[in-house]
Amino acid sequence: MENQPMNPKAATGLVLNIQHFCTHDGPGIRTNVFLKGCSLRCKWCSNPESIHPKPELAYNPGKCIGEKQCGFCLKNICPESAIYVVGSGDRADDKVRINWDLCANCGKCVPVCPSQALYMFGQEMTVDQVLDEVEQDSSFYRESGGGMTLSGGECQLQADFAAALLSGAHQRGINTAIETASNVPWDFMAKVLPHVDTVLHDIKLTEPERHKKWTGADNTRIRANLKRAYETFPDKKFIARTPLIPGVNDDEEHIRATLAFIKPYKNVVDYELLPYHRFGESKYTFLGTVYEMMDFTSPSPETLKRLQAIIDEAFCRST
Amino acid sequence: MTTQTKRIAINFGGGYVPGLNAVITGAVLAASELGWEVLGIRDGYDGLLFPDRYPDGGLVKLTPAIVENLTGATGCILGTAAQSDPFRVRTINAENMVEEVDRSDELLGRIRKEKIDAVISVVGARALSILWKLSRKGLKTVCVPKSVENDVAATMLSFGFNSALSFVAEMLERCRQAAQSARRIGVVEVLGEHSGWLALQAGMAVCADAILIPEIHYDLRKVAAKLREKAKAGRTFGLVVVAEGARPLAGLNAPSKTSDSKMKAALSPGATGGEGFYVIERSGQVAAEVALEIQRLTDRETSPLVLGQLARGGTPTVVDRQLGLGYGAGAVRALSNNQSGVMVVFQPPDLKFVPMAEALNKFRTVPANSEFVQIARSLGISLGD
Repeated sequence: MENQPMNPKAATGLVLNIQHFCTHDGPGIRTNVFLKGCSLRCKWCSNPESIHPKPELAYNPGKCIGEKQCGFCLKNICPESAIYVVGSGDRADDKVRINWDLCANCGKCVPVCPSQALYMFGQEMTVDQVLDEVEQDSSFYRESGGGMTLSGGECQLQADFAAALLSGAHQRGINTAIETASNVPWDFMAKVLPHVDTVLHDIKLTEPERHKKWTGADNTRIRANLKRAYETFPDKKFIARTPLIPGVNDDEEHIRATLAFIKPYKNVVDYELLPYHRFGESKYTFLGTVYEMMDFTSPSPETLKRLQAIIDEAFCRST
Repeated sequence: MTTQTKRIAINFGGGYVPGLNAVITGAVLAASELGWEVLGIRDGYDGLLFPDRYPDGGLVKLTPAIVENLTGATGCILGTAAQSDPFRVRTINAENMVEEVDRSDELLGRIRKEKIDAVISVVGARALSILWKLSRKGLKTVCVPKSVENDVAATMLSFGFNSALSFVAEMLERCRQAAQSARRIGVVEVLGEHSGWLALQAGMAVCADAILIPEIHYDLRKVAAKLREKAKAGRTFGLVVVAEGARPLAGLNAPSKTSDSKMKAALSPGATGGEGFYVIERSGQVAAEVALEIQRLTDRETSPLVLGQLARGGTPTVVDRQLGLGYGAGAVRALSNNQSGVMVVFQPPDLKFVPMAEALNKFRTVPANSEFVQIARSLGISLGD
């Protein structure tokens, strides 16, 4: 088991979460490794805690037991005085609050919180720490044809770390995939893609202006990157994906334009629609803070069927 | 340093309240009496951070001639900071990647370059935090509290509140008439995330049947009992006023509002920049929940209605004009006294200057046994407890 990280410089990276037994992000049963940091700001983002490229504080007031019973975090712990309570102590609600404009995400309040209402998103991990955890499920990968998927955020932003993880996984005989929006410099992709078996890449919107409106940046670089990736790596499997958001991109024009973009390349083997879902109450609650568009709805089954039929036709599949 | 301030600027944190223009007028007139020059910064700090977005360069020279007849005008001629946080400005870098960058140093540099000696900033809770950070980095500043909810600590009265109060009371009166003619129970939601002044004072003014505020957690069974009692006596309608931050007593059927405030608070807006956390305004939820539950408990038809952000518009009342003018002129007085890092506050009968930190992370809430609460109770208004 001599696993040397490919690039010693990138021995550690900022990992948000490692999620086992995923079945939607690549073939078989997979372990998703979420890397922190993203270069887009999609308004429907379902993992907003993955956007900021540094570790950051989160606070779940549901777990806070209040100033009277605890109050440890209020005792001059915060160097920025960002933690406070509302009212004068005679209120039923004595849970602490965070002034996010003052919080510097230093994390000093986390260890003093006995109920884990305060916690950090994102931790530095070494390549081996990640791979050791991923490897625990290797029997599932073998049985199901699964493996490891790097996700995010935008996993390619931590290009050296991602490349080290992927090549390390290959050395351990683990199949690899990435989920990416591809809005990164080409150099990053050139480092990462050689170690990837399946590239799941988003095509969120096809028109540059609309792309910018909904995701924060236009898609010229994404399109150029994808074309170059298809051409540079003819043997890799690419799967295009669109998170289908009603009122944003659930129209035939978008689907047809995407098909026109990918169809010339034989290595783009599929085009998947990911219907937008509202999350279950608990996860929704946990993430909801930064949901800009809570009132996005899921696409209707009819729309989904109609758009899927266009794709199936293009890939010569009968429904 | 006793250099005399000559050139000052004025800007506004997010959110309209009636009377913003009165502050401009007050500051400009007082400054011109001292022979000072006043500049207006458009849209919070945007006028300085993104000058090319504005045909006039983002800075407006304000003279007594410009502010003539402005005191009673609605809105704000300079605009307010929608989401402008100089510490987290969303940008697209040279690599076409979106990121949030700290442009506070650049902002302070521009303020120096424009030879602006001090900034008068009109702030609510959030803009106060940002201004506090800027003042720690060396910005000479005096701030003025604005709030339609009157929840800024350290001052008895923020400007904007009085106008909102008059408007809300008038609307409540109309809602009650509507409820009366339809023989229903009207449930009206008004602004007030942390403090219930607006709901309490406006509700009292129209003798509502019940007023639910964030400071007193409610038990709707008690409210329903009150309404049933009145119905028995032949009164076929009712009016319940709810502040948007009101919550049920712990352990009672706590509906999604609780989880919603969790949502609002769980994660740092660092994740998504200025948007996100602050964009989510789930107004109407409390009204809907309370209306539904009261209907269930009383078997009477209820109708929820949300006044919410409507209270931010409209012309300022005389009280708010006076306050605005006073705050504007007071801020100039503080600067002429060479004070900085202070907030102008109204502690009747005086305008005073207190350190900004005294208002930071604090909200002016309704004390449990305040006179207002006692009067409400003696008027037979249920507070849900």
